[in-house]
This record gives sequence, structure tokens and C-alpha cells, in this order.
Amino acid sequence: MKNLKFLLLALPFFFTSCEKDKIEGPSLNNLYGELTILESLNVVGDGADFSVGENIYFTASFSKQVDWQVKIKGLNSGSVKIISGKSDAINQSNSTWDGNSTLLPFFIAEDCEVELTFEMHDDTIYNQLNIQGEKEYNDESTVLITDFENGFNPNFTNFFQSTCLKKIETGDAGQSDRFLVQEGTCDWDWLIGYIDYPANHWLQQGTLNANPDNVYFNMMIKGDSTLSPTNEANSLFKLEFYEDENQDGYYDQNTEDRLEVEFDVNWNGWKMYSIKYSDLILAWNSGGNAIREPNKILKFRTLLLANPASGFAKADVDYIVWSEGSPILNQ
Amino acid sequence: MKKIYLYYLSSLMLFPILAQSQVKSKLWYDGNARVLYNRDALEGTLKETDTVSTRSNGGGFTILDLGFHFTPVDDIEIFSEVRLKNDFGGMWGNKSFVELRRLSAKGVINKKISFSVGDIYLKQTKFTLYNYEQELSEYEPSVFKFYRDFVNYENYYQSNYWRLQGVQTNFSYNMYNFIEQLDFDGFAARVRGQEWMGKPELLMIGGSAVIKSSNNLNLGSHYVNTFEILSSSNSLVTYYNPVLNTQLSYSGTLKDKPYKVLLEGGFSKRGWDGDSLAPEIKGNFMEASIHSKSKKGEINLGFRYVDTDFRSTGAQTRRINYNNSTTTYPYYSNNYTQRKVSLIDMMSDPNIYNQNLSTSLMNYNPMYSSISPYGNATPNRIGLTADIDNFNLTDYLSVKVQAQYFSEIIGQGTTNKRSFNKSALHSLLSLDKLLSLKNSFDLEGSINLETVKRDGEDFEKIDFNSILYSGSISYELIKNLKIIAGAKVFYAEGNEFIAERDMYDQINDYSNNTYDSKETILIGGIQHHFTDDIYFTMQYNQFNVLDKTNTYDEFSMGRLIFMFNMNL
Repeated sequence: MKNLKFLLLALPFFFTSCEKDKIEGPSLNNLYGELTILESLNVVGDGADFSVGENIYFTASFSKQVDWQVKIKGLNSGSVKIISGKSDAINQSNSTWDGNSTLLPFFIAEDCEVELTFEMHDDTIYNQLNIQGEKEYNDESTVLITDFENGFNPNFTNFFQSTCLKKIETGDAGQSDRFLVQEGTCDWDWLIGYIDYPANHWLQQGTLNANPDNVYFNMMIKGDSTLSPTNEANSLFKLEFYEDENQDGYYDQNTEDRLEVEFDVNWNGWKMYSIKYSDLILAWNSGGNAIREPNKILKFRTLLLANPASGFAKADVDYIVWSEGSPILNQ
Repeated sequence: MKKIYLYYLSSLMLFPILAQSQVKSKLWYDGNARVLYNRDALEGTLKETDTVSTRSNGGGFTILDLGFHFTPVDDIEIFSEVRLKNDFGGMWGNKSFVELRRLSAKGVINKKISFSVGDIYLKQTKFTLYNYEQELSEYEPSVFKFYRDFVNYENYYQSNYWRLQGVQTNFSYNMYNFIEQLDFDGFAARVRGQEWMGKPELLMIGGSAVIKSSNNLNLGSHYVNTFEILSSSNSLVTYYNPVLNTQLSYSGTLKDKPYKVLLEGGFSKRGWDGDSLAPEIKGNFMEASIHSKSKKGEINLGFRYVDTDFRSTGAQTRRINYNNSTTTYPYYSNNYTQRKVSLIDMMSDPNIYNQNLSTSLMNYNPMYSSISPYGNATPNRIGLTADIDNFNLTDYLSVKVQAQYFSEIIGQGTTNKRSFNKSALHSLLSLDKLLSLKNSFDLEGSINLETVKRDGEDFEKIDFNSILYSGSISYELIKNLKIIAGAKVFYAEGNEFIAERDMYDQINDYSNNTYDSKETILIGGIQHHFTDDIYFTMQYNQFNVLDKTNTYDEFSMGRLIFMFNMNL
């Protein structure tokens, strides 16, 4: 009994070591603490050649978990890449960059400025890096239609209204040097102009994947809505895809599918437009099997349209490419 | 001879009455009757600045709760309590209500096994199934008791029992060797019924087994499991929360002073079956205490450890629900400010109280309860308690003292841990005994002090204090008629973080709240006791709630109240 009494009295003291150092719930330091930069921003892999698969990543560390953003801007191209995250450190696992772009145009071999900023904090850290070789988007999972670097393919048949034009320009391209300008005013018809891109004249030849959920159409489009008199989007862009279901080399609207999509070009600057083939809409007068078969595309057509009463319309085009698995910018 | 005839005649006349009193009645009655009338009126600057709210409003009711006890056979009793209520302002029944307040049956099988079914009161240990008192009710002067009785009665709070619907049974075995007695108890109750397109049915089952030995050593095991029934709804997720509590107690004497040592511990598990995002958490607890009672008073010393992840539906459900609207002036001022639950409401408003067990940790206001908002079952606590009860310093002065020191086991949001201190003192001075007065004259006073502190960087520091002063005077004018006066003054100052939790009770954010408030309650009037259970009181109350961080929303109110209470 004496031993029992001793045990009962002594037992509480064994639990004084039960206090633990871990915390319950989110850290107060992360929510309310001051931000201190423990290690400044470093670039690892500076001078990378993205065309051969090299990467760049960044390192930094902070006193608390914070929403951070690394912004890389090409000093020549104007391309922008944004990498963001929430952590108390930046490292290879959360900041690896393979040379792709968030905002077009694409990066070229150039110097870039790097800026690290934080949400809810005024701190900003600057650095620089150099790109030796720009990222190559063409690989076994892509089919390049055209990038206009060799000019306008004469096999791409087209029509533009007499008061409208298309032309190749050099400089300020979405990709590399040259791009296609499409613009004009037509006050009697919606159509500004259209271009047909037959499959047998694409820059790269190859059969697309038969699964429409796995095939993406990508096209760089430059909008300039400030040119319209009312400062609103005045350019309507339409894409039409013609399938040769019986593989006879011709398109018959009574027996074969036509798929399409249209959208307003309501932005300024270059933007990559990407759409999954299975998201295309069957045309109202499509006469085929209603099955989306990207591997049977005969040609596609781009149409630039505008309300005749609304004045000037413009939508420049560059780098048209098919990609497999994901949109081209996610490759 | 004449006397003998008279004697026989009287016996013959009284015989039926004598015979009747020897036969047990099969039907008898009990219950409660209450009449309450109150008139509330805005006071202070609010009378001029608030042009939207009514200046005053009155209300009241007459209630008769009639309990019928019927014993069809000796071993079974059926109990039914019917409420007849008439709100003031209604005549000829247009504001009258009749409702069934309780229905239950109890009995004994073969004189060995007792059972209860229907509306039953259940209680187990302080960590498995226990209805803790509401905050700031301990050491409350007796002049406030009529409010407390009213609130507790309306919410079916009886001695820390929870009122549930179900079945309970218990039985004992007497033995003759080392083990003197075995007690068994088991119950099953429905906590929440089926909901159309809603949550599944929630049941609670539990049981206790206690071994009493011949050398004053008792070993008890108590189990409770609260769980949902998957087949009772279209939901694919079901909740479960088993809790086990084992107790070992020993009673002995030390230098002729009796003492009792209690050692208990246990664990809990809580999760959601079928929900891949829901965590399953396990926690444990341990408590050791020594209790001694003498002519002078009682003393309790204790140590408690409750894990951060300890969860117990039956023991962690709180009485006050801070999400409920107040009955008196729920909105006031021209800004239509919602009046938050304050000391006035905690003292006198039955509608802010909760009668249902909760499967998640309920909100609490750290201003009023920061040390143990969930009673002894409050998770993330380790510390010591000491209290002295009914200590008679002299034959006219008795005191109660309580002290608690706790620390967190795991810091919330930081490795720094909160430290909690509570000190309480209550004293009763019987001036009639001191001054040899004929009529009763009592002075009561109490102080309740709570502090919470946490060190660290500026953004995580906590420094919070609250103090409640209570006092009362009760003077007997004539036999059983007393003049009473009482006061409560409450201060809260400092800052404290309130953890915001998701549907799984995991902390996902904090709000740092600053407090600087003062609340005052004054009461004065008369009280007459016909018996201990039959009394009336008529008094004037004055309430004031001032948040010094927002003085524009100061609330002041006066109340004239009459209450008659009769326990049948």
C-alpha cells in the first residue's frame, strides 16, 4: 500500500516531460510575422541552352512561409515568364524553368532581368540571367504548320477584301523574326479575309493522333483593340477544320465533317490561342459522321471578321502548331 | 363504559382512512409551477441615441409542468410531464401552449436489473459523458440563484446530466471475497434523428463496469461511443468517436483524516469513415487527485493532462451557444447592431443555452472562459488544481478557494505555449451569528480571476486578464421575507487569439482579438420563501455592457421582474 501511495504521488511528475515542441495549426509567424530574407535570390544554371534541354532554377530562403513570385523578362523579346509559389524557400523543386513563356512572345537568346516579389510585403529582389539558346517547342509531339520565317507559303490559298490586306512583317514577332499581318476596313461585308492551310503544305508533315482529346491546335494571335474607333474588340476570329473522312483528297460538305470555333480578339499584344480538338464545335451544315478525327484533317481555314459598321479590324498571326497531350505552352 | 364505546366508534369511523393510507397509491403527481413577468427598458445614452428600438418591452408567462407518475405494477413506473403555458397578453387560450415535456418509463426486472426508457438523464465520467456548468456560475452569490434555477430548469440541466432519449439499464452483483460488489451500467441513446436529405442518424452507446473490493480499492472502466448510422441517409460518410476511461480509486485515512485518491486515464479516437480528406485523430488523458474531507472543510488537489487530440462528444459539449440570438433586445441602436451574448444573457436567458450534444468543438468566448472552456475535458492542457470547499474559518465565516495552473502541451501556431492561471475565492459571512441577531443577515462575496499569457514575438504575444467581482446582501425583515441586493462587475482586458477551425476541427486560421470591456449587473428587491422550494421574488435589475474599444455601442438596460416558483 505504501508503494501504491508513492506511485500515485510520483506519477504526475512523469508527465511533466510531455510538453511537445511541435505546433498545432498554421504558424503564426507565417500569418503575422515580419518577412526577413535569409538567403537572397540566386540563379542556378545561368546561360542555359534551352534548345538542348537545359534548365535554370532559383534559390532563396526566407524567415516565414510567404506567397512569392519570380518574374523573368527578356530584354530583347519582351517575353515574360512567371514562376510563383508559397513556401519559406525557393529551390529546384519549385522554381525549375525550361525556357517557356507565360506571356508571349517566346524568349530568344538574350539577357533577362529577374525580379522576386512577395504578396503583402514590399520587399523586391533583382537579379539577371542569360539565355544561350531559346527553347525549342518542336519535337516528336508537335506538328508545325507554319512560323512564317520563310515568308507566306504560296500554297496557302487566301482571299482578302480589296480594302484589306495581309503581309509578312519582320520584327516584334511572336516567335523568332517574322509574322503575318492581317488587317483592314470593310464597310460592306463582315469578312476581312481568309486563309486556307492545306495539310499537305504544312511545314512539318505527319499524321496527327486520332484521339481528339489528345490533340491541341495552337496559334499565336496579336490583338490591337485600341485601333478600333470605339476602343473595343472589333476583330472576330474564326477557325474551320475540314475532315477528309473517306481519304479521297477532297472535302464534301454533304458527307464529311467540318468543325469550327470563333472568338473575339479582345486583347493587346501576342497571345497563344490553344484549343483541344474535342472542344471544337460541329458546323451546323456538317454532313459527316460527327466523330472528331484529327488524323483525317484535310485543311483548316482562318477567317478574320468584323462588323462592317465598326471600322478597322486587325489580328496578326504567328507560329501555328499542333501539339499532343497538352497546349504548346505546357509542353 | 362510555369511553370504551367512544373509542370503538372512533376506530370504526377512522378505519377506512387508516386502511387507505396503508395501500400505496398507483398515481401521484409532482411538477413545477412558475410565473414570470418582466419589463425591460433601455437606459443611459441609448435612450436618446437609439430611435429605432422600442423604449421598453414587457413579457411573461405562467407555466404549470404537471408530472404524472403511474405504477401499473409495483416494479414499473411510467412518468409523463405535461406543460401548460400561457403567455401574458393571451386570453381564452390564444397564446396558450400545451406540450409534452417528458415521457419515460422505468422499472426493475426480477428485483435485480433496473431500466429506464424514453427521456432519460445520463452521466458518466468527466471525460466520457458530463454536462459541465456554464461559465462564471461557480461561486455565484445565492441571490442570483433564482435566475440560475430558471435557466437550468428550462434547459433540462440536472446535476451535470445530459437529457437524452434512449434506454438505460444497470445491475449489481454482491460477492463475498476480495471483490465485494460488481456494478454494471449500459445505455443506448439517440443524439440526432434522421434528417431528410441531411446527416445520418447519430447514436451514442456506453457502459460502465465497476469493481469494488474489500480493501477500499475500486476499479472502474467506462466506455462511450458516438457514431453515425450509414444506412440512415444517402451520405457515404459517417462519424465515430469512441472514448474509454479507466478509474482506480482508493479510500483510506491518514492521521484519522479520511482521504480518497483517484487515478484515471483513457483515450479517444475520432474520425469520419468514407471521407478520404478527414483525419483520424487519437488522444489520451490522465488525471490524478486526492480528496480529503473533515469537519473544517474539504480539500482537493489534482493533476491533469489532456492531449491536444482528445475528443469526446459527451464531455466536450458546452452549455452556452454563442451563435444563438439573445431574447432581450437582440438588435439595438440605429446601426441595428446585433447584441452579442454577454453576462446578462448567461445569467438569465434560457434561449442561449444548448441541449444537444455536439460532435465538433463548439465556439466559446475567451472573455468568459479561457482556462477550461470544455471543463476537465478541455484538450491541450497540463497542470495542477487545488481547491478548498466549505472551509469554516469560524462559525459565522466560511470560505471556498480555488486555484488552477495550466499550460498548453502544444503551442497553437507557435512553439511558445500559453500559460493559464485561475484563482477564485468565495466567502459567506453570517452577520446574524456574528452579531447575535434574531433575523438572518448574510453577506456573500466572490472573486474569480483568470489570466492567459504567452511569450514570444510581438505578433504572437498574449496578455489577457478577466476578473469577476460578485457580492450580495440578504437581510431577513420578517420570517422568510428578505431584502436582497446583489452586484456583479466583470472586467476583461488584453488580447487573445481565437482559433478558427474547419469542419474537421483542424485549426486553419486565427483571429487576434483585443478586449477592454466592463459589464455591470445590479439587482435589488425582496424575496419570500414559503418553503425552500416555493418562493417569489420581486426586484429591479440594472445591466450595463461597455466595450471600451467601441463605446458607441454601449448597452444599458433596466428590468423589473417578478417571479413565483413552486416545486410540487
